[in-house]
Amino acid sequence: MAKILIPTPLRQYAEKNNSVEVSGSTVGEALANLTTQFPDLRKNLYNDEGKLRSFVNVYVNDEDIRYLQKDATAIADGDTISIVPSIAGGRS
Amino acid sequence: MIRVHPEPWATMVAHAEATYPNECCGAMLGTADGDDKTVTVALPLENAYTGAQEDRYEIRPEDLLRVEREARQRGLDVIGIFHSHPDCDAYFSKTDLENSCPWYSFIVLSIQKGKFHHANSWLPNAEQTKAEQEPLEY
Repeated sequence: MAKILIPTPLRQYAEKNNSVEVSGSTVGEALANLTTQFPDLRKNLYNDEGKLRSFVNVYVNDEDIRYLQKDATAIADGDTISIVPSIAGGRS
Repeated sequence: MIRVHPEPWATMVAHAEATYPNECCGAMLGTADGDDKTVTVALPLENAYTGAQEDRYEIRPEDLLRVEREARQRGLDVIGIFHSHPDCDAYFSKTDLENSCPWYSFIVLSIQKGKFHHANSWLPNAEQTKAEQEPLEY
């Protein structure tokens, strides 16, 4: 089992859990299991095409999965998955 | 409603003034009870935008990962993000909206001629098509 840390604003969609233990051998499977367990999380994490929303980054321990094998990144028991947004902006 | 305690507010204003004429950015930690939020810690972050920083900011995801961890260690929640608008008002621009994330409160500090002028807090909607102003107390 891997542990997914739930960001504060999303806990309301995950029965107020701040982390959830999930099964799965890849990040994609783990997130699918998370959103099966808590369907309201799905629209916060995925777009209508079923892809992670553009501002959603996923880390396995300290590694950004974009630089690994993305959804197919393998996970092991005891790994921690973090969901971290991209944030930018500007006055113009 | 979002309330910012005096110490984090002073940190935010000092960071915004020190960064002028560039935009600053940072994270706010605290507690949330539904829509009632209290900020007790402000963490200035580096503006990672590689172009002209007087009208853009960018936060590295790895910095936000670090912020998330610090919040958990302190038993606090990540409440929102702050950034500054040098020499213009504290509106939520199209760039802010399109590059935000609808999970957090976004406080914008207007810095005029190097000094704090006013601030507003904004809540982007889920589709990031508009942002509602959130009552702000500091």
